[in-house]
Amino acid sequence: MNPGISKPSSVTRRQFLRDGARAAGLAGLGGLLGLVAERSTAKGTVWQIDPQKCVRCGNCALYCVLEQSAVKCVHAYALCGYCQLCTGYFEPDPNDLNTGAENCLCPTSAIKRTYIEDPYYEYTIDEQLCIGCAKCVEGCHRFGNGSLFLQVRHDRCLNCNECAIAKVCAGDAFRRVPADQPYLLKTDTF
Amino acid sequence: MKIAGRRRKTKGARGRRWALIGGMALLWLLSAVASLAEQRFPPPDFEGGHQLPVTTTPPARALTLDYLDVGVLGLSLGLAIWLVYRRRSRKGLIVLSIFSLLYFGFWRHGCVCAIGSLQNVALALGDRSYALPLAVLAFFVLPLAVAIFAGRIFCAGVCPHGALQDLVLLKPLKVPPGLEAALSVLPFLYLGAGVLFAATGSAFIICEYDPFVPVFRLSGRALMVLSGAALLGLSIFVGRPYCRFLCPYGALLKLAAAVAKWRVRVTPDNCTQCRLCEASCPFGAMREPQARPGTQTHARDRRRLGWLLLLLPLLLAGGGWLGYRFSAPASRLHPTVSLADLLIRAQGSPPKIGALTPDDLALERARQAPQEILAAAAAIQRRFAIGGWIFGAWVGLVFGVKLISVSVHRPRTDYEPDSGDCFACARCFEYCPNELVRRGVIPATTLTAAAPEISGPPGLDRS
Amino acid sequence: MNPAESILTRRRFLVGTARAAGLLAAGGSTVSWLRAASPGRDANPFALDVERLQHTDPKLIHYEQVARFQGCAPDPRRIAVGPDDRVYIAAANAVTILDCNGRLISEIACAAPVRCVAVAAEGTVYVGVKDHVETFDRTGQRLATWPSSGRRTWLTGLAAGEKDVFAADSGNRCVLRYDKAGKLLGRIAERNKDRHLPGLVVPSPYLDVKLAPDGLLRVNNTGRHRVEAYTVDGDLEFFWGRPSAGIEGFCGCCNPVGLALLPDGRHVTCEKGLPRVKVYSPKGVFESVVAGTETFYENAKTGALKTRSDGLVGGLDAAVDSQQRIYILDLVANDVRIMQRKA
Repeated sequence: MNPGISKPSSVTRRQFLRDGARAAGLAGLGGLLGLVAERSTAKGTVWQIDPQKCVRCGNCALYCVLEQSAVKCVHAYALCGYCQLCTGYFEPDPNDLNTGAENCLCPTSAIKRTYIEDPYYEYTIDEQLCIGCAKCVEGCHRFGNGSLFLQVRHDRCLNCNECAIAKVCAGDAFRRVPADQPYLLKTDTF
Repeated sequence: MKIAGRRRKTKGARGRRWALIGGMALLWLLSAVASLAEQRFPPPDFEGGHQLPVTTTPPARALTLDYLDVGVLGLSLGLAIWLVYRRRSRKGLIVLSIFSLLYFGFWRHGCVCAIGSLQNVALALGDRSYALPLAVLAFFVLPLAVAIFAGRIFCAGVCPHGALQDLVLLKPLKVPPGLEAALSVLPFLYLGAGVLFAATGSAFIICEYDPFVPVFRLSGRALMVLSGAALLGLSIFVGRPYCRFLCPYGALLKLAAAVAKWRVRVTPDNCTQCRLCEASCPFGAMREPQARPGTQTHARDRRRLGWLLLLLPLLLAGGGWLGYRFSAPASRLHPTVSLADLLIRAQGSPPKIGALTPDDLALERARQAPQEILAAAAAIQRRFAIGGWIFGAWVGLVFGVKLISVSVHRPRTDYEPDSGDCFACARCFEYCPNELVRRGVIPATTLTAAAPEISGPPGLDRS
Repeated sequence: MNPAESILTRRRFLVGTARAAGLLAAGGSTVSWLRAASPGRDANPFALDVERLQHTDPKLIHYEQVARFQGCAPDPRRIAVGPDDRVYIAAANAVTILDCNGRLISEIACAAPVRCVAVAAEGTVYVGVKDHVETFDRTGQRLATWPSSGRRTWLTGLAAGEKDVFAADSGNRCVLRYDKAGKLLGRIAERNKDRHLPGLVVPSPYLDVKLAPDGLLRVNNTGRHRVEAYTVDGDLEFFWGRPSAGIEGFCGCCNPVGLALLPDGRHVTCEKGLPRVKVYSPKGVFESVVAGTETFYENAKTGALKTRSDGLVGGLDAAVDSQQRIYILDLVANDVRIMQRKA
């Protein structure tokens, strides 16, 4: 810009006002930054379920923005009783203790039962099939040791700004956790 | 050689020290876990020596990738500035728009975006316990900082929502100016509502009602997908409807762009008022030259302006009062308040047995600590009352300022886009014969206008 | 394009505002109509419905509640009734002693979690503290601290006989036999192929042991849903019980969690999951219900169950006094109810 050129006075007044407003806007932005930055964290946050607060309402399977929910059942193997009659696997009063669908709780057959030795069986979750409905979690919690619980799986979760499930969680179990420690496992607290 | 050897030795010693520290830390961690395990009731002793499997913990997205997104944002903004002001190339902006749509839209699923980040900032201001991630703060600040200097460059080719609407625009129709002015008030109202609900921790309504994120995710609830498709369909005929009439971040960008240092100029040099660019803007941002009003109209306008300025505080007060009155129902959007409502309504009713719905389970949880929930809900409603006053006053202010701006006539000599409304899409450039001369499409002798008096960098506003 | 049409005037702005408001109202009502049309969050399609199992046939209930009082310490675990009909509750890190109206008489405090308690005929109180037994006299004075019998020891049941004291060790899945001085005499019910003992399956720490009038021990093999009778030397005499959610069997994956014995040898069993207390004949034939699931409102709600650090998730325990009244300890509601046989 050539400073030698004279401009009409109204333009310089407008320019002056604009410059002032720009400076004020920048100052405002800087002030906002200052206010917020002291509580800012360099780390990101992700969503996770607190298993102690989960009430197994079934909303995790229905409200995730993904078609197959990012919430899955996980197993705390150190807490399990390895029962032959697992109440997270079998319906109450099964016809027989086998893998028949009529006897099993899981609507998608995601929980697998493998024989270890008499009378112990191991139960594992196939995450490809699990929809996070918490039916097995309810059975395990009500009758058993509570070793099955729900967790948000971060290889699937999109980490939405506001988790759609968190909004409707009946137990208020969702909270933001640091992204480098994204799980709240039951074995961490017991 | 000797020096290199010594350096290697100290590096080895340092490495060993770190290994020792790391080993001690690991041992301490293991002992903590082991002591927890000792308190726990042990699983059965398997005779065959079966090893218990480990619960897998797939990690979340690496932090470096979040900062990579910020870097890409910064670079894209820089590239957009260069494309609009130096190269003045619409084709370049189209390519950038496609890249932004693919990266920020379909790859990152449109989250976190600059539009939503304003809610995070609002929440950080309203809730002391919320730690705002720096990457999200960067998404909020960078496009605004750029807008203060160079206008709505973010909207030009970086925002995936804008890019999507821009790329499907085929047959732009003109929105009647009255309707357009009325609808242009909406982004400010949406901004106020978004800040209110985010700061009180109720909901991120901007995210919840974002029409294009289901398109980016390729999945969503039926209502969201339908609204996205409807808005996308509308975008074919009405240019950038979300950007013009809804985007709350756009309201902030508009304010920032109003004081921008650099403005988008249709002509690379002087405007000759040839009117060829009159119909060039599909977004209604083009402003025509306006003569200074005569002394009579000027005096009448000044009186009207005086009345409007007197009306402004009334609008603020009235709006604030209305906002306060509607704050109670608005507060029900907060899950704690709606739970407290449920608790009060269910008082005295016997507990339900049998299969419980999620609402029943929430009610049971509330019944275990009713006083806490009621106290929390009351605190939130108090905050909503204050927020209602502020939001109502903001609505009044927005209407008042809009009325005033409609009444104030700014004299203009050239055809130029309104800095707040212009998305810097560079569509109007090729309508200008001076621009075509600059690009070498038509020879300079076609023009009969005088040669430019001041030579400077093309595209920069000289006012 | 006529320039006059494109000029924005105040009137046009206000007309435009009206049209915009109309558009918004139309859009908003469409949205709310669509939302109302879609199903709400009324039901959980994946609910585990046990409601049909929570009703007891009233004809089977032969007991009625005569008293009920709150426990004094949190985290209750086991209940015992002393020879003078005083109530001993193992909770938190102490044994609280109450009278049959629920008034606190005294408290025996210990340094570690108290998991079980038994009272001998002469009044000596045997307390299972985490992994060892401590003894106290009638007045609450400490008599002795017995050594722990191993790393995995987790005592959850005690029974005091004339010459021996039996401790149910959930951690090692066996019953420890001590003499009155604290010397370990033997391990009962441990898995032993040579003696054809299948061993105890204990998925959760609820193993209990009681000494029956016929001189045999009764141990609840929770993982196999049965009550087993052992001699004090460790031979398995007989067992009874089967898994079933119906009223005659033991529900869930590990039940019964508590045992008590009436003077004629009848068994009183407590279950968790579907909390209920039942009476079986001395040979294990189902007789009657003391308290059905529908009476344990707090305990039957899984919402109230929290996984505690001591591995207990809900449950009940029972004890019998000199008048054959049954005392039921509710681990979730932390109260004791006294049940008497109906006339």
